[in-house]
Amino acid sequence: MDFITGEIVGILLFFIGLYGLMTKKSIIKTIMSMSIMESGIYLFYVTINYVPGSVPPIGQQGDAPFVDPVPSALMITAIVIGIGVTAIGLTMFMHYKQKHGITHWSRNRN
Amino acid sequence: MLYLLIVGPILAGVLTILFSKRDTRLFIIFVQIVQLLYALHIFIDVRLTNTIFNFMSGAPEGLSITLMADTISSVFILLTAIIFLMMLIFAYHKDYFTTQFGFLLLVLEALITGLFLSTDLFNLYVLLEVATVVVSILIMINKEKQAIYDGMIYFFVNVIGTAFLLFGIGMIYRTTGLLEMNAIAEALPLVEDPRSLYLPFALMMTTLSLKTAVVPLFSWLPKAHGTPSAPPVVSALLSGLYIKTGVYMFIRFTAMFEAVISVPELFLVIGFMTSIFGFIMALGQNDIKMILAYSTVSQIGLIMIGLTMGPEVAFWGAMFHIVSHALFKSALFLAAGQIYHYYGTRDIRQIRGVMRTMPLIGLAVLFGILGVTGAPLFNGSVSKYLIAYGSDAALVQFGLNVINLGTITYFLKFSTILFGKDERPDEVKPMREDRLSEILVFVMGTLILVSGVFGPVSIDILFGYEATVFTAGYFQKGIIYMLMLVAGTGIYNGVVKKSGILDDISHIELTFNGIITSMTGFFLFVASYLYVML
Repeated sequence: MDFITGEIVGILLFFIGLYGLMTKKSIIKTIMSMSIMESGIYLFYVTINYVPGSVPPIGQQGDAPFVDPVPSALMITAIVIGIGVTAIGLTMFMHYKQKHGITHWSRNRN
Repeated sequence: MLYLLIVGPILAGVLTILFSKRDTRLFIIFVQIVQLLYALHIFIDVRLTNTIFNFMSGAPEGLSITLMADTISSVFILLTAIIFLMMLIFAYHKDYFTTQFGFLLLVLEALITGLFLSTDLFNLYVLLEVATVVVSILIMINKEKQAIYDGMIYFFVNVIGTAFLLFGIGMIYRTTGLLEMNAIAEALPLVEDPRSLYLPFALMMTTLSLKTAVVPLFSWLPKAHGTPSAPPVVSALLSGLYIKTGVYMFIRFTAMFEAVISVPELFLVIGFMTSIFGFIMALGQNDIKMILAYSTVSQIGLIMIGLTMGPEVAFWGAMFHIVSHALFKSALFLAAGQIYHYYGTRDIRQIRGVMRTMPLIGLAVLFGILGVTGAPLFNGSVSKYLIAYGSDAALVQFGLNVINLGTITYFLKFSTILFGKDERPDEVKPMREDRLSEILVFVMGTLILVSGVFGPVSIDILFGYEATVFTAGYFQKGIIYMLMLVAGTGIYNGVVKKSGILDDISHIELTFNGIITSMTGFFLFVASYLYVML
């Protein structure tokens, strides 16, 4: 089962999310698919260039190599942005639904 | 000290929120003037000395987050500061200019400046994401049903598009271990297997093509830029300035990949298709804002053509067209806002006699139209001349002429609002309370003429590129323009007015799912093109 690495699963999640975005008309499912897509990216990032047996870059270096901390640092930022974006998307959706009762992407400009 | 340009407006914006009970408009305009002066200082500095680098937190070059002001980006930050100052002065007497609105504009300015300055890939992602949020709030600021729907489409499409960029950045980081664009440009030729870069290139180009709104990814643009209830300032900013961040990033990213992946021919074709699609869609519109929005699509296509054509003269012509487009499109959008306020409709068939009722606005619209269609002595003609000068190929020349003919035709339709007589009875006409914004729009209109008359000089001042424009060829173009005007009038009266097909075409719209599907399709197309052709 060597091919099931974080990178491969990340890429798969990205495209699963994209499939959801392409096919689902419900706005709430759009937001969910977007989150799935972003999770795929987070997983891809935190597993890139991972060497088995490496240690976190804290304290004295022993024999084991240090892990590259940059992708994790980037992903903390990206996760925060992702939460913000999801929250804003949900807020827009709630406002739209309560005011106008629309839950799906419509075909035409009204 | 480049970071001051980014931090300054945001800090000032937070200050205005703290004092939101008071009238903060003058303070915001004051901040804007300071920003303009500082941008001017940076611009002169870059032109006199050389590229300025700013390495954040003292980390060594290539590893730190870097801000860079070179010939191109210094012009863009200057342009940003000028356009924002004009927008704020325009909005000064409007009732939508609240503290919240001013805060959002200041933040957006900082983000756009950041996008022009930063050379760090992840930084660009963050700035794009935040800018998407700010822009969608600005689109929805009136909370009308249509505006919220358009804003939501804009928001989701752009967030998903930016996710492509983030994914691409991850793949680049996986191959090179770098995030700084100049360092990556040096490292990429050393990559053993260039095929591993095709996927990140395709991912990044999908985002950038979405941001520049080329075929087939432009569907969100007319929705966002032409939203009926968005304030004219927002539409003008989006169409005049914000869309240029995508073009600018396209320039930077193609330069970054140049050593390994160079596919200008692909984007040349895409540029032509965008331009032609843009004017076909614009021909069938009856809403003045929608005509202008589709005109932006068409002009961006023209800019892409110039950028990817190859010769230096076409490249700088396209750069000047970016500046000219920023001027005339924001002037036209602001004028459209004033016209809408006075006439109470955006329907082109019901607006008549702008020239008589609002002479200043009418003149500005006239100058804007002459600029965008490339009439001699206006700035559009200079940049279009330089772009056309870049190629001898008959097909390219033919394409450019078709685009120009299309532009002239739909702007002839647009110009019908200028003439005739306003036939409404006097009592329905609202008061024209706002002289300041009318004068400002007129000033922008004259800028179009001035920057055109002194076209070669302005290119030399802005980009340090010496172009010879006023030659026999230029005057030949002038004669061609006159002929096209006649042909355009013929086409408009003969075909466009009567044909129902154009009306049908112009109402084709992609649904949200359609937009995402075309995005995925575009990504797959670029990726497979790279694998097959290179």
